[in-house]
Amino acid sequence: MSQAEVDTTQLLKGVLDLAVLAVLADADSYGYDVVRRLRENGLDHVGDASVYGTLRRLYQAGALNSYVVPSDEGPHRKYYGLNNRGRKALDQSSQTWASLSKALNHLLNGRSNGHDK
Amino acid sequence: MISNDQAGDVAAYAASVRAALSDLASDQAEVLLEDLEDHLREIAADAGGPLGERLGPPEQYAQELRAAYGAAQAGSPPQKPAFRDVRRVVTGVAGSAWYRELRAFLPQLRPAWWVLRAYLLVLVVTAAFSPGYNLRPIPNPFSKRGLLEIFVAVIAIVVSVRFGRRNQPLPKAGRLLAIAGNVAIALLALPVLGSMGTFPSFAMVESGSPVPSSYAQGEVTNVFPFSKDGKPLTDVLLYDQEGRPLTRDKLPDRTTDYPIGADGQPITNAYPLNQRRLDGTPVLQPRVAIPPWPAATAAASPTASPSPSPTR
Repeated sequence: MSQAEVDTTQLLKGVLDLAVLAVLADADSYGYDVVRRLRENGLDHVGDASVYGTLRRLYQAGALNSYVVPSDEGPHRKYYGLNNRGRKALDQSSQTWASLSKALNHLLNGRSNGHDK
Repeated sequence: MISNDQAGDVAAYAASVRAALSDLASDQAEVLLEDLEDHLREIAADAGGPLGERLGPPEQYAQELRAAYGAAQAGSPPQKPAFRDVRRVVTGVAGSAWYRELRAFLPQLRPAWWVLRAYLLVLVVTAAFSPGYNLRPIPNPFSKRGLLEIFVAVIAIVVSVRFGRRNQPLPKAGRLLAIAGNVAIALLALPVLGSMGTFPSFAMVESGSPVPSSYAQGEVTNVFPFSKDGKPLTDVLLYDQEGRPLTRDKLPDRTTDYPIGADGQPITNAYPLNQRRLDGTPVLQPRVAIPPWPAATAAASPTASPSPSPTR
């Protein structure tokens, strides 16, 4: 693992809940599909086990519904979707994220633009 | 659809992940892992190739799962650190390759135990019915007693092995009884085997060294022979059982004047030794108590010339 990958993994840990909630807010989905969609959206280094573990934890915490969809050419798929609690959690977390990223961007821009502020 | 190979790969991978997480509380592990196989099958179907290549080693996968699930804080009561360490060691040992090999190997030794338990049982019974009898690891086949022991042992071994190879399983109570019996034999055999190790001890006799340099009362620096009627003898030549002269090492606190033989060599085993202390005073003969000799023998040869009569 390169340093960049380690950094990404560390950073992702904190926001993986938010990312998974966001993916599920888009559409209900099953574990492997969540991984795929996260990766399609640029989170290349997201770990399969991390996503699976996060889904199970959010489900256990009561933020997700789940239902099984039989599949003809593979295993049954357990789909997850947001319930009210999940949507509330997503709202809160995205607000937190927005303010956090704003602050962080501000900090980083300030550094790259010199000390003229 | 996934191939049989892939199904096997999924099962093995999932088993390793479960093993690595076996320290989680069972209800917690169940919630975390209930869809693991389905999930891995999905990956296998999509990706092809071994899961290990795509997901990394199962132990690492398990660690990632544990971290993402937040296993430490969710659900189960927090474990004490020491206890967690113990569990980690136990899990590590139980999951290790050598432990699995050992577990696979041990059942092969069952027949050996069947033979051993019969042997031990006969040993225990023999010891119980004949206290003081000198048990041997293998009885002497040239004694009646030993022959009987061997005969009984052979019969016991045959019975024990037939019992071990029985086809129909015992009922539950019988199985418990059998286990208790095995344990009892093993435990009872311990003291018997322990007592078997104690042979009459042999005194270590130092050979080569001349006069024993010490005995119970202290160091021997000289020897004073007496005839049985109490006369001190001089210039008595002493030899050990090999015919070697008994000599005394040089002592730090006295000098010894040896008589010089006709060949000019000192005679070092003529007792009592003529010793002087460092200040020149001679070492005197000690006072001794001569035991009263049986009258008949004393009368028979008062001034005996060397006779082979035993003096013990």
